[in-house]
Order: sequence, then C-alpha cells, then structure tokens
Amino acid sequence: MYKAAQRRIIVPFLAPALVLLAVFFLYPLIKTVDLSLNEFSRTGTMRFVGLEQYRLLSGDPDFYNSLKNTFLITLIGSGMLFPPAVAVAWALSQRIHGERFFRFVLFAPVVLSVAVVSLLWKFLYHPTLGLINPALESMGLGALAKTWLGDPATALAAVTFVSVWHGIGIWIVLLCAGFERLPEDVLAAARIDGAGEWRVFWSVMMPMMRDLLRVLVVLWVVQSLQTFAFVYILTGGGPFGSTDTVGTLMYRAAFERADFGYAAAAGVVLVVIMLAVAKLLNKVMKRDDLQY
Amino acid sequence: MVKAVQKLMVGLAAVSCLALAACGGGSGGTGGQAAQKAPDAKNWRQDIKGGPIEVGVLPAVGTPSLKFLEDIAAAMEKDYPGTEVKQTFANTKTRPALEQRWRAGDALDVDYTMFDGTNPALLDWADDGALLDLKPYLDQVDTTTGKPWLEQFSPAVMQFMQHPKTGKVYGVPSELSLQVLFYNAALFEKHGITPPATWDDLLKAADGLKAAGVDPIAVTGLFEPYMGMWSDNIWMRTVGYGKAREVLTDGKGSITEDPGFLKGLQMLQDLRDKKGFLKGFEGTDFTAAQAQFFQGKAGMILMGSWLVSEMADVIPKDFKLGVLQFPTVTGGTGDQASMLAAAQLMSVSAKSENIPLSLEWVRRVVSVETQTRRATEVGEVSAVKGVSSPPGLPGIADVVAKADRLQAAYYGLMQSKAKDVVYPEIAKLMFGKQDAQQTLENLDKGLRRVHGG
Repeated sequence: MYKAAQRRIIVPFLAPALVLLAVFFLYPLIKTVDLSLNEFSRTGTMRFVGLEQYRLLSGDPDFYNSLKNTFLITLIGSGMLFPPAVAVAWALSQRIHGERFFRFVLFAPVVLSVAVVSLLWKFLYHPTLGLINPALESMGLGALAKTWLGDPATALAAVTFVSVWHGIGIWIVLLCAGFERLPEDVLAAARIDGAGEWRVFWSVMMPMMRDLLRVLVVLWVVQSLQTFAFVYILTGGGPFGSTDTVGTLMYRAAFERADFGYAAAAGVVLVVIMLAVAKLLNKVMKRDDLQY
Repeated sequence: MVKAVQKLMVGLAAVSCLALAACGGGSGGTGGQAAQKAPDAKNWRQDIKGGPIEVGVLPAVGTPSLKFLEDIAAAMEKDYPGTEVKQTFANTKTRPALEQRWRAGDALDVDYTMFDGTNPALLDWADDGALLDLKPYLDQVDTTTGKPWLEQFSPAVMQFMQHPKTGKVYGVPSELSLQVLFYNAALFEKHGITPPATWDDLLKAADGLKAAGVDPIAVTGLFEPYMGMWSDNIWMRTVGYGKAREVLTDGKGSITEDPGFLKGLQMLQDLRDKKGFLKGFEGTDFTAAQAQFFQGKAGMILMGSWLVSEMADVIPKDFKLGVLQFPTVTGGTGDQASMLAAAQLMSVSAKSENIPLSLEWVRRVVSVETQTRRATEVGEVSAVKGVSSPPGLPGIADVVAKADRLQAAYYGLMQSKAKDVVYPEIAKLMFGKQDAQQTLENLDKGLRRVHGG
C-alpha cells in the first residue's frame, strides 16, 4: 500500500526531468544516429546508405588527426588547468587579505564571451603586433618568442591555454567549495600530530577531495572533447590541421560541404568515445568512500 | 519501484521520440513552403504589390556599403505602400544558419551564395527547384536602356550567372571580386621599384623592398585559402586554368602529369626562400595582415578587390594604392591574361510569396545608378556595363581591360573535400615545412584519396 502510493507520487516529480531528457538528449541522439546512416545533398534531401559514412570515417586520416588533437587538448588542458586551479583554490581557502578581490580577478574571464576572449588572445599572440613576443624580447627572452598560433608545434597548446584561461575561474570556485567543506577537526588533528602544511595538503586534504576531483576531471574531459569555438575562432583548425578537432571537422563537413551524414557519424563516434572515457575514468579513479 | 521508474523513463522517451519524429522533416529537402507561381515575365513590374520581403545583404551594420541598400529599401517602401524590407546579414559566417533556413522551407526572398554556375557544389539549389529562373525576366527589354536587362551585365560574368547545363540564370551579380596584386605605390616610387608585371619583376621588387627594410608581401598564415591564392594564380599561369581545375576540383588526371604544377610550387618556394612574406605571417590573421600592408609594413598584398571597401576605416588618407594583375610567367604554358574572380550573386527564392517585389529589389540593387554610386563612394567593382571603375582602386579598369577572361576563384574548391587537401599543403610549403617536390607528392596522395584513383 505504502509502496504503491510512493510509486504514484514519484511520477509527477520525475516526469518533467524525464521529458527534458528525452527531448534534449535522447531524441537528438537518436536523430543523429539516423542522420549518420544517410547521405545528404546540399539542399537537404537524404538517401539511406547504411554504415557507409562510418566506413568513410574509418578511412579518413583527417578524422584520426582531429581525434588525436582532441585528446591532446584534453591532456594538455588537464595539465594547464588542475595544478594551478588546485593551488589557487587552496590559497583562497586560507585566510588571506584581499581574498574577495582575487576571487573576482580569477572569475572575471568566465563572464566574457568566447568570441571576445578569442579575439583578445589572437591579438596578444600576434607575432609582431601582439604583447607576448615584444614582452619576451624586452626581457631578453627573445629566443622564446614564437609565432604562437602559426606554428604547429605551439598552436594547439596556445589554443588550449586560452580555453583554460577563460574557464579556470569556474574550476577554482568549485575547488574552493571543496576545500571549505573539509572538516576543520581532521585538519587540526593532523597539525597537532605534527604534520606540516604541505603534508596536510598532500596527505589529508587531497585524499578527502578525491571524489570532487574525480567529478571535475570527468567534467573537464567531457567538456574538452567537445572543444570547438576557441579553435574555430583562433586558428580555424590550422596551421595545416594541427589544431583541427572533431568539433571543427564536423562543422566543416556539415556546414561547408553540407555533408551532414558524415558529420553526424563523427558526432556519434565522439559520443561513444566520451561515454567510454567517462566510464573508464570513473572506474579508475573510484575509491572507497572516506568517512569523516 | 526501480522497475516502475525504468518503465516510465522508457515510455516517456519513446513517446517523445515518436512525437518529435512526427514533427520532424521526413526525408528533409527544401520542404515547407510550396513553389509560388512565377509572374508573367513580360509584365512582372505591373504585378508588384507592397508586402514584406526578407533580403540577404553582405555589408555589416554601420558600414557605408549598407547605406545604399537601406536607401533602396526606403525607396521601395515609399513606392509600394505596405512594403517592408527586412535586411538580413548574409555574409560568410551566417551562411550555415541561412542555408538551414532554406532547407527548412523558410528561405529568404533574396539571398546570396545559393548559386554559382562555375561551382558544381552550388548547383544543387537550382537543380532542386528552390531558385527562380531569372532568365525570362532578364530577357525582357529594360525601358531605361531599351535593351534586354541581361545585356546590362558584362559577358565575363555570364559563366557565374548561368547554369552550365540548362542555360537558365539563377543569380545576378551585385558586385564582382577580382584577385589582384595591390602595392604601395608611394613606397615603390620612393625606392625606385618597378611595379611587377612578370614573375621575375616580382622577385626583383621583393629584393628592392627588402633592401628598403620593408617586408615584400603581406599574407595571412591563419586562413589557408588566402595563402592558396598564390598557388591558384601561379598555376593559372604555369598550367592553365582549365587543366588545373580538372586536376584539383574534378579529379581528372594526376597533378604529377603536368610539369607546370611543380614549376609553380618551385616558384612559390623561391619566393618563400627569398623571405618574400611578412615577418611572422604564420601567426597573423588576415585583418592584421591587411592592416600591416596599409601601415607600410609590407609592400604588396594579393587579395580580392573588396580589400579597399573592407579596410576603408584603416587606410591612411595619403596612402597611394596601386593595383596590378597577377604577374605573368615568362615561358609559362598556362593562361597569362586571365584573372581569378568571384561574383556575388543574388538569387530569388522560387517559394517567395512576393516574387515581383523580390525581383524589383534585385533590379534596383544592380541598376546603373546604384552600382555607380557604390563604385564611386565605397569602391565596389561592378559587373554592370557602363559603371565607372572605383576611384579607390586606381588602375583597376586597365587591369580588367587586359584580362582576356575571368576564371572562378579557388577553382570551385571551397565547398569540396579537396580544399582540405590543397590549401593545407600549400600552407606547409609557404611555412617552410616542406619543399616543392614534397608538396607535389603530398598533393598527389591527398587528391587521389579524395577523388579516388
């Protein structure tokens, strides 16, 4: 009796979320799979071709190159994002003078649009008119000056850096929340036991933050695998494909060549990869819950 | 409990999918509105009635070029009561969204880039009946000139306007873009450098500019098709437009068969090795490259004739501009007098609910009066006969007069997969990542992959 009543009452609570899930995730996903099984003309008429788009995709070196670049962005970005974000969040969780100001400064780029940030950095990176190279030269570090966006060796890292610079504020806020909810008594106990601040950070705080870090890593991976806007505006995928991601490849296929079937197939493969990577990361990083 | 929730989820998902699928557009295509009955070609102007129309425009908000179009819209709204002309920005970056509207049956009444007779990828809309055949209207005698409207346009642009198979006309050019070599005339005069007519002259001019401490040629390294302008033009001279297009765009034959391809790449390599390009061009975007040219930091730039109107705000008042056709190549077996060009074509939707008013918009935009004002005041090059050359482009009239034929820019590559093969390889050559021979081999491999064979 109680269970039946519980069952009845759960339906109206879950229904809105489920409808939204169906409309904005399941339907597009199913539709994308459907599109990927067809060939399109520029005017949008389509013809069923089965798995042909997947066959083309599997033989396309441009797709593998974009996939490699996408993973590199995820990897390089992880290195650029998490160490400084954790360090800054830790610093902000200490009682420091001007904490609010620092939080504002770090969060400010987040409210700027991707287009504005990209144009700003396109100027900063400019080899002769920008700010970075002249600054390096004026410090006697001219040997470090590069054509940042124009050199295949640096372009991907340069684009990734802009993406991280733009979004790091969000991650710092989330990590700050994690640091602030750590139990003071556990930290105090560690200090009473003689642990220095480094030891407290590394051996006490980090293990207790593991769950949060796992979620943030998965979120970063999912977000960075979808990278599109920064690459599109800053380099368009160049020089010669060195920053091309699955997102920019899909965009070109769909909207320059009207090859929607191919773009959809690339999208489906990316979704499968993202789900697999997220699952794997969750499994690898999962540890027994800490009770505190 | 868990099972009940699972059932509920599956059920909801299925219902939502079915409902949305029912609302979705089946096999896609240019569905939605039905094609409208085209007005009688002889009396279409008498059928003009006021009403709302939406037209694509290329200039951005706030630019002088847009003012002309706003004036036309205001005049039409006055002449035909009830008319409302909505102007929608229809330039490059908005094309994906606008094309989606065409696919969904919500087309603009007049739009750009829907047709180009020289580009196989842009014939589909016409072939699917989405565009109005303009030929019957263009064949009518224009009362202001006493000649058929079609004769108003330069014969050189007919290849862009006309469907290559049916001969029907689906686009009318509001402006023409010519790929020309701009040079800083004052700088050339000051250092006694001769404007280059031949490739050898170009190399000498590059030496002269370098001796004067100026980078010879401004180019962007962040937009590969603009680097490709160099190989496109060189190959037109060393191979010939028709042969080069067959290999690059149509996939007929191999790029290794005609020695002109390797010769062209070698010439580009020579220019690169001479340090002919702007310092740091690899990381310079095209707006910055163009600005650096007008700031006197580079002596030449190969660009479309739109350069002057696009950069009007940054060109110093005392800047002395020179315009040249791409240099000829002594001993080259290709076309020495042809020019690469593109026409900005306006097409009318066959499903427009007010075709006569849409045609009137087109007629007014390409009228000699409007075209003359646009040429004079904002430096647009017109495809309409009798329109004077833009004074902001000194020498363009001579350049065009010397051209024996206008050829489609980019060889019609821009909407094809081959674009992703050709221009990145040219970029690698210009960046110094490979030599001419390696470029040729990579091009051969890439073109075989995308064209088969």
